[in-house]
Amino acid sequence: MHKPAISIISLEKHYGDFHALKNVNLEVPDGQTLVICGPSGSGKSTLIRCMNGLESYTSGDIDVLGMAVGDNTQVLDQVRKRVGMVFQNFNLFPHLTNLENCVLPQIRSLGRDRGAATEEAQEQLKKMQVNIHAAKFPDQLSGGQQQRVALARALCLKPEIMLFDEPTSALDPEMISEVLDVMQDLARADMTIVCVTHEMGFARAVADRVILMAAGEIVEEGTPVQMFNNPLHDITREFMKVVN
Amino acid sequence: MADAMAPPARQMGAIAWLRKHFFNTWYDAIFSIIFAVLIFWGLQALIGWAFVNAIWRVENKNQCTHDAGACWAVIESRGRLILFGLYPYEEQWRSTLACFAVIITIALSCLPRFWSIRRLPLLWVVGFGAFVLLMRGGFAGLPLVTSEKWGGLSLTIFIFSGVFVIGMPLAVVFALARRSSLPVIAKSTGFFIDIVRSLPLLTILFAAAVIVPLLVPEWLQGSKLMRVVVAFAVFFAAYQAEIIRAGLQSTPDGQAEAASALGMPYWSLVVDILLPQAFRNTLPSTINQAVITFKETSIVTIIGFFEVMASGNAAIGTGEWGNQYIEVYVFLALIYFVFVFGLSRYGAWLEKRMRLGHA
Ligand SMILES: Nc1ncnc2c1ncn2[C@@H]1O[C@H](COP(=O)(O)OP(=O)(O)O)[C@@H](O)[C@H]1O
Ligand SMILES: [Mg+2]
Repeated sequence: MHKPAISIISLEKHYGDFHALKNVNLEVPDGQTLVICGPSGSGKSTLIRCMNGLESYTSGDIDVLGMAVGDNTQVLDQVRKRVGMVFQNFNLFPHLTNLENCVLPQIRSLGRDRGAATEEAQEQLKKMQVNIHAAKFPDQLSGGQQQRVALARALCLKPEIMLFDEPTSALDPEMISEVLDVMQDLARADMTIVCVTHEMGFARAVADRVILMAAGEIVEEGTPVQMFNNPLHDITREFMKVVN
Repeated sequence: MADAMAPPARQMGAIAWLRKHFFNTWYDAIFSIIFAVLIFWGLQALIGWAFVNAIWRVENKNQCTHDAGACWAVIESRGRLILFGLYPYEEQWRSTLACFAVIITIALSCLPRFWSIRRLPLLWVVGFGAFVLLMRGGFAGLPLVTSEKWGGLSLTIFIFSGVFVIGMPLAVVFALARRSSLPVIAKSTGFFIDIVRSLPLLTILFAAAVIVPLLVPEWLQGSKLMRVVVAFAVFFAAYQAEIIRAGLQSTPDGQAEAASALGMPYWSLVVDILLPQAFRNTLPSTINQAVITFKETSIVTIIGFFEVMASGNAAIGTGEWGNQYIEVYVFLALIYFVFVFGLSRYGAWLEKRMRLGHA
């Protein structure tokens, strides 16, 4: 039996009095693509950020690549070196060139030497088709290009899992597909992916599984076909109507 | 064809330009004329005093008659006192060299290519080391000159750069400590910063010069100059820390999240990501703080150091050149102006460069 890449058991999260995640149970097998959708404020970001320890949780168990994600900062460091993340707002470092954005994290978290790091960075930027912008600064690029630099930056660390939190929500409509395209390539290349998104085209094309969250709970999960064609819950039906 | 492509005429013509900017309305015209007359009158008086009617050299000081114009001979006669203070006459070449060592160090550290955690400290150790060795002597046949005898412009520059070099890292530490997640550290640092900021600089320097020797064992005291520079640096750091803290707060949370998610260690997040952005965002205030500090160095006079301002006072205080105080103060003002203006221009250049995305 293959161990799942991510396994979450009875996860609970409170922000003060607010109950943000309620008894979340989830397994993501190695190489699968999971899409998380649901209305705004339903806890999608909170859940995905728990997976690499950006957010702490109240109780439950999170196991990522065989490591227990919790308070232990040494374990967290290990997890983050093997789990990449791409954010809605790109979060590129504005004072560094796009190339340096990709080089520095390799040096600092993997201890690679600059030569090897630069080579790797060039290669990833090329795969994301932004290598001609390597010497520019992030704010000289369009949103779609910035997001692809951010993806290249994460991929430079050769992660085994990629987390995406609404990677195309801050983009102008005409740039969404250029980001989704490279994400689809990743999914087809058997990267383990967890992606919060409302882009149902992406889900249909590459997701192995879709889960729908509402008010901190997983309401329904299934294959894309099931979720789109035969949703069991009213909430899911409503939601699918809105996003499709 | 070529005509159709020509850009519209850009030059308005001098008359039209004057009209637009100075004589647009009747009250514009009145103010323009009043100020033009004032400026003309002031400039003419200044040029007449400083150049046309000035006396440049005299056989003896009685030839300096005060009414017609400036008597710059005072600078020739007392310039060394102003620049070197009480530093022994035969050794003043050392003071000159030391001064250049620090000025070159400052100039080099203004260049972005030196901004690395290894290069900058190295540069400063070498530059400062050269300054102290040259000024102090006591080796290789150079007579020993203790810091009580240091003075003039070299002392001013030494104090300023010493305060900056000790104060800046201290400010970073204060700013980080005040943002610490441990309440004890955050609160006590905040308390300390507020105390320092609520005391006059003079009080702090006085305490360092006079009171510390009464309380601290001798081997820990250092020289009086050292204590004063450190105390001044703490004062500077208290203000600069708040500037840096503001800069850190203006950096979006996403930056720290991205760095964490990439597995970068905390020190790298601070050194590589947060601080560079904090400095970038607060450059105008930082330059402002540097300018204020440069001008405040003159306060060390009060605890017995002959920095450039005090040396200037001494130059006219002997009575001999007592009538030429205006010339001396103009000369001093020029010295300050060169440094402060240089600093502001540098700040403006940096800001522009960073807006373009570099550094
Ligand atoms: N730092 C926080 N403090 C308090 N409440 C928060 C915090 N972050 C998120 N929340 C709340 O938790 C809920 C879930 O947030 P989030 O996971 O960001 O939702 P989603 O990503 O699905 O839109 C929201 O109601 C939000 O207001
Ligand atoms: Mg969200």
